[in-house]
Amino acid sequence: MPTVIAIVEDDSDQRDNYSDVLTAHGYEVRAYEDRPSAEAGFARELPDLALLDIMLGEDMDGGFDLCMQLRNMSPTLPIIFLTARDSDADRISSQRMTAWDYITKPVSLEFLVARVHALLKISDQLQSAPTGSTTLSVGALELNEDSMLVKWKGQAVSLTLTEFWIIESLTRNPGHVRTYDALSDVTRQGLVERNTINGYIRRIRNKFREIDNGFDRIQTVHGTGYKWEQGSA
Amino acid sequence: MNAPAVRAAAQPKNEALPQRKSRPVRRGLKIRTKLLLLVFFLLVIPWMGYESVREMEKFLLEGQEQALELTTQGISSILGNRSDLFDPDIGVPELVGGSLAELVKTLDEPLAIDAPTGVWAQAIGELVSFTGVGRYECGPDYRPDLLAVRHALGVHESMLFAYFEVDDDRVILRDPELLSLDTNDQIRLTVQRDSGELSRYLLTSQEPGRLSIYLMKPNWREVVDGEALRDIAGTLDPVPTGYAVKLRIPREFLGPGARIKFEIVDIDETKTRAIRQIISTEPDPFRFEFGSVRLTTPELAKLIQPLYVSEANITVWDAFFRLRAQVGSVFPPVREAFGRVPQQQSWASRVEESFLRFFEWILRSPERGLQDMPIDSSREDRRLMGRVLAEGDSITERRRYGEAKLIVTASPIWAAGNIEGAVLVKQSANKLLSLQYRTLQRFTVLFLGVFIFLAVAILVFATRLTYRVGKLQRETEQAATSEGRLLKDRIRAGSRSSDELGSLTRSISALLQNLGQYTQYLEKLPDTLAHELHNPLNVVNSSLENLQYNHAELAEDKHLQRARNGVGRLRSIITSLTEAASLKEALTREQAQSEVFDLAQLVRNCVEGYQASHPKYRIVPNFPDAPMLILGVPDRIAQMLDKLIDNAIQFGSENGLIIVNLRRDEEVIDLSVLNDGPTLPDDIVDRLFDPMVSSAKDARKTHLGLGLYIVRLVAESHRGQVRAENRRGSRGVEVTVSLPFETRRRN
Repeated sequence: MPTVIAIVEDDSDQRDNYSDVLTAHGYEVRAYEDRPSAEAGFARELPDLALLDIMLGEDMDGGFDLCMQLRNMSPTLPIIFLTARDSDADRISSQRMTAWDYITKPVSLEFLVARVHALLKISDQLQSAPTGSTTLSVGALELNEDSMLVKWKGQAVSLTLTEFWIIESLTRNPGHVRTYDALSDVTRQGLVERNTINGYIRRIRNKFREIDNGFDRIQTVHGTGYKWEQGSA
Repeated sequence: MNAPAVRAAAQPKNEALPQRKSRPVRRGLKIRTKLLLLVFFLLVIPWMGYESVREMEKFLLEGQEQALELTTQGISSILGNRSDLFDPDIGVPELVGGSLAELVKTLDEPLAIDAPTGVWAQAIGELVSFTGVGRYECGPDYRPDLLAVRHALGVHESMLFAYFEVDDDRVILRDPELLSLDTNDQIRLTVQRDSGELSRYLLTSQEPGRLSIYLMKPNWREVVDGEALRDIAGTLDPVPTGYAVKLRIPREFLGPGARIKFEIVDIDETKTRAIRQIISTEPDPFRFEFGSVRLTTPELAKLIQPLYVSEANITVWDAFFRLRAQVGSVFPPVREAFGRVPQQQSWASRVEESFLRFFEWILRSPERGLQDMPIDSSREDRRLMGRVLAEGDSITERRRYGEAKLIVTASPIWAAGNIEGAVLVKQSANKLLSLQYRTLQRFTVLFLGVFIFLAVAILVFATRLTYRVGKLQRETEQAATSEGRLLKDRIRAGSRSSDELGSLTRSISALLQNLGQYTQYLEKLPDTLAHELHNPLNVVNSSLENLQYNHAELAEDKHLQRARNGVGRLRSIITSLTEAASLKEALTREQAQSEVFDLAQLVRNCVEGYQASHPKYRIVPNFPDAPMLILGVPDRIAQMLDKLIDNAIQFGSENGLIIVNLRRDEEVIDLSVLNDGPTLPDDIVDRLFDPMVSSAKDARKTHLGLGLYIVRLVAESHRGQVRAENRRGSRGVEVTVSLPFETRRRN
């Protein structure tokens, strides 16, 4: 059974470009241009993964509404927001609706495919059997690469795929500096500005601090990048 | 992106610049000062009041003058054709003002009639001169060198002493050959006893020594009784200037209530022995204290008695300048009318007193006028009387004695075509003056009250106005930064008030609101633009990728490469647009995350990183290895430093040297980045830190002119300042950020 990917995007050129590349990679694509048609499509058939634009024509938050409906239908369905909107508020909204990733336009198709691939793999893992075998432990941090699961001091931290990749990259060599360039590669978004990396780190820190107010493991090395400080605990 | 477009965007600012340098403000007064100056124009009112009261005074004085004139003429017509009243013989000599005893000097010892004249002159006290100037019965050709009399009276127990010094160029004594008594220098004594009976005594002498005294008939020629009287003792002693007469009269001889009159008769030549002059102790109505004696006509006095006029003195004279009757005085009945009794001096009453004194000084108190009023004005009266009697016309005149005003009118009394006498009425204008004074006083108090009230009211109003205008000004100034960025979109102060200032406030508020909306639109523009550009950019980007994916052989195609480069540039432009737009918001949000950190450490780390990522340039930190603490958000400071370095590299010379300096001053840390690039163009040096201002000329690189704008935003959110200047001494530009210095770490 081919993997079905739903694309909801009001711009037909972008929609078609996404479809083309995903189809070329062997996925079956269902493309919708607005919320009603997408809702109808989801009712008929639940996709394996959904790519949502937030703004659908006049419908300012159409993507969010669709995301909520999909989440109601399936708690584990990987959802990626692919949007031109780059505000913290939108990112937080997407996170609240447990979207798996949030990518801003312009997106590199190559990386998009990679993400889709990675998310589908994680989704498979979660659905088959939750195993703790590949769990990586760095101090109080637990990291399951397969299920994209991160726990800090035993509590789950809800991260997007990109954030997960950054944490993974940082903790691979605790105490060593990850340069901006390295982190930029990890985000798999093509050319990424330092400020964008700073934004990711800021959001990651905030998420950890929601659990542990004194969280200070991710340290800034100004002008260079970030490192995961291995604490005594 | 190419630079000319950026220039075009910056153009309107260029045009707006000259307007900032507005024409110099004219120097002038503030509103409050102006209004207060206006209040001082009110001071014209008291001046006007004063002037009008003065005019009123003039008017009233004229009225009073006319009334007095009428009174005078009335009296004169009543007295007209009443020759009987002016008969020189029916006059009664009268000692004015009281009994004789009160008016003559009381002597300690009786004087001997034979004592030398010097003893008498000394004992009897001050002599009163009867120089005869205008003296009645002297006539117009009177010559004081021919006849002058000095006279004094004294009393001791039962005796009355009279002493005369007569200056006479020729003393003619009685010729024993001649029978007549009145053809020589003589003294006539008229006594009116209490019964009203008149007795006339002639005192004469044939030689120096004892005087012979005869009782005479009214014509002074014939004796009633040839016997010389023994009751009165008198001597005539020659003195160098003429002769002296000593008289001793028993008071019994005069009887109680008697009135006396002396006349000195001068005869100067022996042939005709005609009377040349008579000087009498005829009353001078105002020299009461001389103890003079005068002639009055009781019927006349009775006639004018009902004509009493307040503060007026009415006198009736006969044609021989003799006062026949008088009534009233120019002085008010109670002199203390304006007097103040000094009381317990409390603080308030002292203030009141000084206030009153100030009034008196300004308004000329009539009390002073009263003080200036002369007790004796007989000289002027006689002059006036002379004119009236000579010309036969009524005369009115106003006299001033210092502050005192006296209105005098004189009118002749006619009888059968002859001038028989005259009425002289004098009235003081003091009553008027005191009325005027009171009016002015009331007016001044009223005016002062009104003036103070108005001044205070205007001061309060002006202060309030100034305060409101000042507040409006302050708020308006605070509404936007000096660069023109709006901080507020409304003015609160006084916007609810209904007056013009309130509506001005509302207008400014509305203006600010519109401006705010416009600014908001402008500020959102990059964000909106970025968002709108992202979609087509994504189309191009994904299409290019698809193209490359489907046609692997095109991977190295130069056109595809260029297209991808173009997309990359577009993307970086959009990113920097959004970065600046969202930064302001982010900075305010992050204020709470400020921490105290070591700027030196941060800069050192950053510079290391920059050096690693820009190996072609030499980026050198040039500051001591000591901590420099500031309060702020390290990420943002690093972002600011990024932009500073980017800017230095972009505008520095290729593969050049970039120096990063940190310098600690008294209160600030100066962080400066120096490059060795071309100097700053003059036209943008003031606006370098404004958005969309760039001096870049390389069309192939992206220059939105937002880098230094971000530097400024970050610096300002850290209470810092930015400046850019050409390096002194060597080529290059120095951009400096001054940040407040923090003394210690906070925990």
